Amino acid sequence: MLIQLSNIFKWVQQGGRRVFLLKDINLEVEEGAFISIMGPSGSGKSTLLNVIGMLDVFDEGKYNFMDEPVHQLKEKHRSALYKESIGFVFQAYHLIDELTVYENLEMPLLYKKFVGSERKALVADMLDRFNMVGKKDLFPSQLSGGQQQLVGVARALIGKPKLILADEPTGNLNSKQGEEIMALFKQLNKEGVTIIQVTHSEKNAAYGNKVIHLLDGRMEKK
Amino acid sequence: MAVVIVIGLWVIDEFTFNTYHKEHDKLAQVYNRGKNLDTGEIGSFPSTLYTMGTVIKENYSDYFSQVIRATWVGNYVLTNEGESYTQTGQFIESEALEMLSLEMVQGSYSSLDEMNAVVLSETAAAAIFGKEDPLGKSIKINNQMDAVVNGVYKELPKNNSFAYVKFFANWELTEANEPERFERIKTVWDDWSFQLYVQLQPEIDFETANAALRDLYASYGPSDSAEGYEKRGLHPFAYPMDKWHLYSEFDAQGKPTEGRITFVWLFIAIGGFVLLLACINFMNLSTARSQKRSKEVGIRKTVGSNKKQLIFQFLSESILISGIALLFALLLVLISIPWFNELAGKNMQIPWSSLVFWSSLIAITLVTGLLAGSYPALYLSSFSPIKVLKGTFKAGPYSAVPRKVLVVFQFSVSIMLAVGTVIVFNQIEFSKDRPIGYDRNNLISIQMNNPEYNGKYDLLRSELLNSGAVEDMTQSSSPLMGVYSNGGGSISWVGKDPEMSPDFGILRVTHDYGNTVGWQFLEGRDFSRDFASDSSAVIINEAAAKYMGLENPIGSFFNFGNGDRAEIIGLTKNMVMQSPYQPVKQAFFYLDYDRVDYINIKIKANAITSEAIATIESIFAKVVPSAKFDYSFIDEDFAQKFESEERLGNLAGVFTILAILISCLGLFGLASFVAEQRTKEIGVRKVLGASVLNLWQMLSKDFVILVLISCLFAVPIAFYFMSQWLQNYEYRMEISAWTFVWAVTGAMLITLLTVSFQAIKAANVNPVKSLRTE
Repeated sequence: MLIQLSNIFKWVQQGGRRVFLLKDINLEVEEGAFISIMGPSGSGKSTLLNVIGMLDVFDEGKYNFMDEPVHQLKEKHRSALYKESIGFVFQAYHLIDELTVYENLEMPLLYKKFVGSERKALVADMLDRFNMVGKKDLFPSQLSGGQQQLVGVARALIGKPKLILADEPTGNLNSKQGEEIMALFKQLNKEGVTIIQVTHSEKNAAYGNKVIHLLDGRMEKK
Repeated sequence: MAVVIVIGLWVIDEFTFNTYHKEHDKLAQVYNRGKNLDTGEIGSFPSTLYTMGTVIKENYSDYFSQVIRATWVGNYVLTNEGESYTQTGQFIESEALEMLSLEMVQGSYSSLDEMNAVVLSETAAAAIFGKEDPLGKSIKINNQMDAVVNGVYKELPKNNSFAYVKFFANWELTEANEPERFERIKTVWDDWSFQLYVQLQPEIDFETANAALRDLYASYGPSDSAEGYEKRGLHPFAYPMDKWHLYSEFDAQGKPTEGRITFVWLFIAIGGFVLLLACINFMNLSTARSQKRSKEVGIRKTVGSNKKQLIFQFLSESILISGIALLFALLLVLISIPWFNELAGKNMQIPWSSLVFWSSLIAITLVTGLLAGSYPALYLSSFSPIKVLKGTFKAGPYSAVPRKVLVVFQFSVSIMLAVGTVIVFNQIEFSKDRPIGYDRNNLISIQMNNPEYNGKYDLLRSELLNSGAVEDMTQSSSPLMGVYSNGGGSISWVGKDPEMSPDFGILRVTHDYGNTVGWQFLEGRDFSRDFASDSSAVIINEAAAKYMGLENPIGSFFNFGNGDRAEIIGLTKNMVMQSPYQPVKQAFFYLDYDRVDYINIKIKANAITSEAIATIESIFAKVVPSAKFDYSFIDEDFAQKFESEERLGNLAGVFTILAILISCLGLFGLASFVAEQRTKEIGVRKVLGASVLNLWQMLSKDFVILVLISCLFAVPIAFYFMSQWLQNYEYRMEISAWTFVWAVTGAMLITLLTVSFQAIKAANVNPVKSLRTE
């Protein structure tokens, strides 16, 4: 079992009242799954994704990631864990403007203390795989949205994560570019990568093999 | 801004030096200028001849409306009904009161006209007579001259050359006191014992007057010396009062040097810098906040405000802020001015009622406000509203460049100042630790300024030695911290270059001098009572041996020109008696029990100083009851020689701290700007696995590089200027590389501390927040 969320609650204090962002979330994700999270704006999709990605904390409940109890781990341990096993893809790509494609891809490896030659090999592999060798010295602003997101996906994949978390990966793309990215996800999933994506579009959700609907922080039973 | 006001006040104080006198632009002192034939340097000195006064009075009345003789300013003991007071004063011709436009509290400008008249300053009058009316009271000066107080004048402001003079006495009184001496002086051209003040005729300028004075020696001087005068190019000139303070020194070409004025300019520059830096920082911080305010700008623009209104809004905000700053500054000045006065040795006040002061303050405030507000105003108001509101607005990648330049600039200034301060203090320490050639501990000196001392020395000495408090005592012609006699032009010795006109420091001492001050012999022996022949013997210092070119000076003779000669019996190490920064002058010592004015006493090392002083004082009171026991410790006198350097060092220190503080603010501003700009990048990196440490390194690295660049600028410039400054001192230290290493490391540490705050703050932000896309 890759992910096991049980009775997860998350809230913020607002004017003395608790406003729940997540309410009693129970979710199990097997390795190799492709899950889509759907729901209207403000329903807690991104929050749930962040909790799964360990970027955000929750207030109540248990979370086991690869049988490690995340809720009990220390900050250092936790960041080591997600550094190792999770890749992120963002709606706004979040590439670093001052760095070239090559450097953007290399960056996560730097933080994982790969040595120079290894980094080179891994980045080269990735460039090859996404047919971006010719673009490796370009800056993000010189690429189209679809290409930028491609770099974003490549960057998420470069550390060979078990899980990819994607927050509306196609939100800023036109439909054709979106389809390409979704096809890529499908392909990756086939290769064994677990994927959890947040999306608004039924069509994109259909790429996955399970859909979770959120409303006001609560999972809707289907 | 407070700094600017304080500096402004200081500068005004310096520039208004001596303007107390109504005719200050017409007043001058007569200096003489001539070449030293040995060194080729042109010396300029304020001493004049009695005869010169006479000649100028008689023959130059077309140029000068007033010609006033005066003695040197000195300490005199004034005695009123048995009570003695030491006051600083000057004998001066009676028209001086009017010439200096003193404000008479009692009496009038004619108060000094009577031969035995004295006018006191308010403080001197209060010190001597308390609440009593001083007018008409008789006092004794140095227990020799009977005088009558005929007037009281208002205290002169501190920024005045005569501020230290607490009384003026009629010139004729000193003439009458030493009739024989003056009889001679009135005719000869070799007694340079006086000062001469002049006031120009209304339509004459200094150039004309000085051109006329040039030929004074040729026209009126004694014909037998004419050739010598010619050779030396000796001539008098009137040196304007307005220049006395700021251009108080002359260089080897006889031109006034930029002594004090350099500091004035320097401080003006620093004041300007500080203000500029503060403005820059304000700009930095406000543009750093621009991203926050950009939304406001966007909204304002969409609801229809135009660029002009926005610019106006931002400018008025910044002017308001600088106005508030002005209030704080005034408050700060009010609090800090007593302390600053102490530091700078001044007596400055805030000129509340001065229109100029207020208008310049308002001007500065406006300029500061405009300057500080201009960049943010123009920058922020030019944002395009759609971009801003959509959140896609991004300051360009180069928008940090001007800020970086500014930070480099600020840090360069700070580092330079820091290095400068350190070097000033090092130089002071270095000079203080200079081997002085004698033991200055437990030494006190007393001036014998009372005729009662005559013939009492031996009694005083035996009483003091018997008291057990005193190790030894001696008399000398000048205190240890000075050499009052110089000369020896007629001295010759075997092997002397006949062209050379020798110049020695001359010290008349008594037998026990050596034992009292603890001088150190290199060769030969001290004066001894066992050798009657020592009455015509001299001891020279190392510098003199070198000056005379004698390898083995012991046993050589000084020929005094008049047939007398003296054997050199001892060679001592150089004694630092004058400036601690100059090489020791060649000097010789000889025995003389008559023309000695100072008593030097060595207190026993194991005695408790205060008790010893009390014992000594009681013996003085017994032996010379009318003399005032006014003593000073030699080591304190020595420390006083560092006063002006220390003052400079302290001022520089204060400014350094300020500059560093301001630079840090600037750095802080830049750091927060950069952190804000890079929020997203930091978030991304964090998500991708960067630790806080990684991010801290990344953010700090840039700044460390900036500071290194500033060091690159600052170090050579500071080195250059400080080397220049050290040129002022003959006895100077080498600038050590460590000074720079410390300054650079210090700057680096301060940078890291400042930046780390922002960096760590930015690195700790939860990336979820910074990456939210709304």
